[in-house]
Amino acid sequence: MMKVRYTPLIPFFKRQWAKFVLIIVVTVMVCGVTALEPLPLKLLVDHALGNSRPPAFLLQALAILDARPTPAVLILVAAAASLGLFLLNSAVDAYLSWAWMSAGQRMVYDLSAALFHKLQRLSFSFHVRQPVGDSLGRLMQDSWSIYSLASGVMSPLQAVLTLLTIGVIAYRLQLELAILCLIAAPALAVTSVIFGRKIKRRAQVRREAESRLMSFVHQTLEAIPVVQAFGTQARNRQHFRTIADDAVNLAQRGAVLSGTYRLMTGVLIAAGAALILYVGGARVLSGEMTLGTLLVFLSYMTTLQTTADSLLRTYGDLKPVQASIDRVLDVLNSTDEVRETPKARRLGERSRGHISIENVSFAYESDRTVLTDVTLTIMPGETVAFAGPSGAGKTTLVSLIPRFFDPCQGRITLDGTDVREIQIASLREEISLVLQEPFLLPLTIADNIAFGRPDATRIQIEAAAEAANAHKFIRRLPDGYNTVLTDRGAALSGGERQRLSIARALLKDAPILILDEPTSAQDAATEAEILEAIERLMVGRTTLIVAHRLSTARKADRIVMLDFGRIVETGTHKELLAAGGLYHCLYSLQLHAFRLEVPA
Amino acid sequence: MKRWWLRLLHYATPQWKSVSLSILLMTFGVILDVLKPWPLKLVVDSILAGKPLPPMAAWLYRLPGGHSPSALLAWLVAATIVLFLCLWTRETVQSYVQAGAGSRMVYHLGADLFHHLQHLSLRFHGRNSIGDLVRRITANTGCVRDLVFAVFIPMFSALLSLLMMFGIMWRLNHSLALLALLAAPMLGLLVRRFGELMEERMYRQLQLEGKLSDLAEQTLSALPIVRAFGRENSLDHRFSDLCRQTGRAYVRTVIAQIQFKIGASAVTAAGTAFLLAIGGLQVMRGSLSLGSLLVFLSYLTSLYAPMETLAYLSAGFAAAGAGARRIFETLDADDRVPEPSHPKILLAPRNQGAHVRLEGVTFGYETGRPVLLNVNLDAQPGQTVALVGATGAGKSTLVSLLPRFFDPWEGRVTIEGTDIRELQLANLREQIGFVLQDPFLLPATVADNIAYACPGADREQIVAAAVAANADEFIWRLPQGFDTVIGQRGATLSAGQRQRLSIARALLKNSPILILDEPTSALDAETETLLLNALERLLEGRTSFMIAHRLSTIHRAHKIVVLDQGRIVEQGTHQDLLRSGGLYSRFAAFQLDESQAAAKSA
Repeated sequence: MMKVRYTPLIPFFKRQWAKFVLIIVVTVMVCGVTALEPLPLKLLVDHALGNSRPPAFLLQALAILDARPTPAVLILVAAAASLGLFLLNSAVDAYLSWAWMSAGQRMVYDLSAALFHKLQRLSFSFHVRQPVGDSLGRLMQDSWSIYSLASGVMSPLQAVLTLLTIGVIAYRLQLELAILCLIAAPALAVTSVIFGRKIKRRAQVRREAESRLMSFVHQTLEAIPVVQAFGTQARNRQHFRTIADDAVNLAQRGAVLSGTYRLMTGVLIAAGAALILYVGGARVLSGEMTLGTLLVFLSYMTTLQTTADSLLRTYGDLKPVQASIDRVLDVLNSTDEVRETPKARRLGERSRGHISIENVSFAYESDRTVLTDVTLTIMPGETVAFAGPSGAGKTTLVSLIPRFFDPCQGRITLDGTDVREIQIASLREEISLVLQEPFLLPLTIADNIAFGRPDATRIQIEAAAEAANAHKFIRRLPDGYNTVLTDRGAALSGGERQRLSIARALLKDAPILILDEPTSAQDAATEAEILEAIERLMVGRTTLIVAHRLSTARKADRIVMLDFGRIVETGTHKELLAAGGLYHCLYSLQLHAFRLEVPA
Repeated sequence: MKRWWLRLLHYATPQWKSVSLSILLMTFGVILDVLKPWPLKLVVDSILAGKPLPPMAAWLYRLPGGHSPSALLAWLVAATIVLFLCLWTRETVQSYVQAGAGSRMVYHLGADLFHHLQHLSLRFHGRNSIGDLVRRITANTGCVRDLVFAVFIPMFSALLSLLMMFGIMWRLNHSLALLALLAAPMLGLLVRRFGELMEERMYRQLQLEGKLSDLAEQTLSALPIVRAFGRENSLDHRFSDLCRQTGRAYVRTVIAQIQFKIGASAVTAAGTAFLLAIGGLQVMRGSLSLGSLLVFLSYLTSLYAPMETLAYLSAGFAAAGAGARRIFETLDADDRVPEPSHPKILLAPRNQGAHVRLEGVTFGYETGRPVLLNVNLDAQPGQTVALVGATGAGKSTLVSLLPRFFDPWEGRVTIEGTDIRELQLANLREQIGFVLQDPFLLPATVADNIAYACPGADREQIVAAAVAANADEFIWRLPQGFDTVIGQRGATLSAGQRQRLSIARALLKNSPILILDEPTSALDAETETLLLNALERLLEGRTSFMIAHRLSTIHRAHKIVVLDQGRIVEQGTHQDLLRSGGLYSRFAAFQLDESQAAAKSA
């Protein structure tokens, strides 16, 4: 179960295997160099300044260089060795952090690219449940967990290696002291495991307190009309303080806990160092051991402590990593409800735009039906407007045609073929959308217009803009068509953005057009300009209009009135007015709002 | 915006005791750090090499057994342990003090900001995204802690330890001290050379990260368009491309950091090697003791840490400044509805409603684009006024003037004959209850949500309100009944259940004026009928303003107001309007037909 769940992550590690092998090799080197580092000091103290005999390999090396092992020479050798080891250490260390970073960031961005790929294709049923902010969090933050996971696995390895190399060298220098030195290690490991768990738990509780505070703030600000109307500001402030105090206490308790841990390891290390200093000092006094060896041991104690520290940090970090990994896997492992069948085929030629909706029912959640048994045939080139009170199912009905959702019952056919038997990409090629919110992307204006036809030439793009009444204002922008739209085109007015989205649909030139009340957010003057552009867009296409207001509906070939997910009446504007039904009533109520665009 | 840090420190001052304690502890820590290599020096020089103790440590002789080397060794070992214990204890105490003081000042600032935001007008909230405001409160407020504990105190500590170490080295050996000091300007040069580079690259990396998250956010929210235009693949490419760029920028930042580290450790390495060589020769000649050399070597490695601290100070200061700017920007926003200087208190009689008038009211959100034009409306105590009209006709705007979410440009709103701008804001809002399209439930218990306006209400009153709102039945079925905590935005309750809770909330508030903004529009017909019953109980004895689309909710209103493009075009009772044969009559006639048809088919 576990294995299956985590397998989607394996390829991301695999792709960096060469780096990981290198990292392991270099880690071994780092451990070796770290263990060697205090030895030049020993050389200086024992052999240059003291009077013990330098090691044989050094004497041989000096003999080859034709130098005599005088104290001055030995001092220089010690200094050079120290410099060399130090530089080697920092070089290897630098390489290690570089290798980690580059392997890590590649895994992270590979993973987020995979997540992005998946998120773009998951059906809207997923996105209805997960707000954009949440998906974004998974994409941008949680993807880092794969990096933390890798380092979480590697750092105990490094700790063990360090212990091993130090143990070997210490053993060769002095058996008893080596044992003394390493006695501290298991004790350190035990404390770090015990405390690591506690600190981890404490950190989790603390993060929970912080996120309580955050969601309290979020919800209060979201409900600001109610807050102000019910006058609960003072109480909310008090509540904020209470939660904050809680978080402060937890922060302090966390600090005490990790402080205690550091104190414990500190005591262990201090005791170890003191023991070594005492035993070693006595031995140096009695001449059984050299001073240099003592210094080497003391320096090893410091290294041991650093290792214990890093182990603890790893333990503390792994828990939130797991939560993040789970959130990533949620996305990677989720199966899509709108799927392409293997036998789905491409549409051979441009669709005629003949749509038939047959006994379609749909519900977002099983107990709340949105559409009930809807049947409707739309002829090629026809303009059909869907009207009705909000919540009647107008938008849902048109979303079924490009397969944003699949109906629970019934089927939809395009030119006689069930849309589920057409390749999704091929189906969507036949459909253009203009929605209430234009949804521009952070690309240039030209790229936004050519969104559905990336290969369009500049001339085609400008022609589309011209037809959408957008060319003029684009030319006035400092960078013209090359203006990059940041923040959903916030620099443009609502009407300008909408005209770009019309140009985009014009250029795509699909036989089917879906309009979801593109003018409702506009004032009357802008609306007239947009309507003119839309009329050009509609020529020669099968057009489905979702009309929250009836201004665009009245010119449609046919108007379909929906109420509570059912079709209650259909007919032309005149027919429906004459019938005196729901349309007639809504139309009379709204008539005055749209007198600006009443056509001849 | 000048002296932002002074203003920020204002939030740190209540914690001055902890901050001074922290400074003291830090000074203590620096002293301990400086003392750290000394026991070893004494062991090496005075015990192993048999030299007399230096004058500063001569008191060690007076300790019991001070003249025997092995006893002296034991004393020095004890000193090491004590020193280490002090060091760790100090660190624990300091992190405790800082954790408390730091988060307290952060939350102090956060609470202020939160409080301020709660009072800003809806116009401000309409312009600013909630996510952004939440980030300001929860993330950006950290700047005050960072300023104190990551900039000021470390700066002080770094300077102090540099000074003390140099002082001691100078006393031990002039030439070696100068040699060790030589590392400082070289490290400083490195800081200058790489500090800027690191900051520049970090900035570029952050910008790319911003672009990446922009692309992701906008793609995810534009998914219908992306899919309909079949651009998933090209956006995938674009995203991976940006990922690669960001990754490269990231690695470049890390490389700059690594280069700095290599440079710094090369300086330290060279310094160590020089010290070893020159110091070693001096020890050989007898002009320096071996122990002193060890002290020098230890200080040289310690030099690196404070230098690094100083290197990152300016970046830390700039980061805190960026956070502070976002905070003060919000704190300085003064978009509130003004409270009158001599507020009046209104004591409207309970259970019979209040007299509400709108006189010549004109209002809009942007200058030059009025949403309401010269609206006159009179609601007698206890009347139910239904507002009818197309989307954008100004219905919601009209009712939001009553609790002074906004003030009208022209004209006035009165309650019981008093201009509401003369009333105390809290008092005014006490008079008004709300049932909105979105009930806005909070993540508290059901009981707390019902008692939202009257936290003092007892359980009996809460249950009574729930019963009157037809909500008791489903509440008792919840796992903990009235003590069930509602999930985020009431996710575990159905829309109808949530709406009934908000009716119970309004019932318990028992205010003379009531605003209902499409309370049933998100519900299906069956749920709606369940609600109407509860609503009727709520309307009794109150002056109510109701925005609704369905005749079933509207026709019993005492007065129906038809709005069109910000003007009132018809008003009167259901009967009046039916008789006058205007827009409303046609609307009503149809809906009656339909509901009869529905009744027959059901």
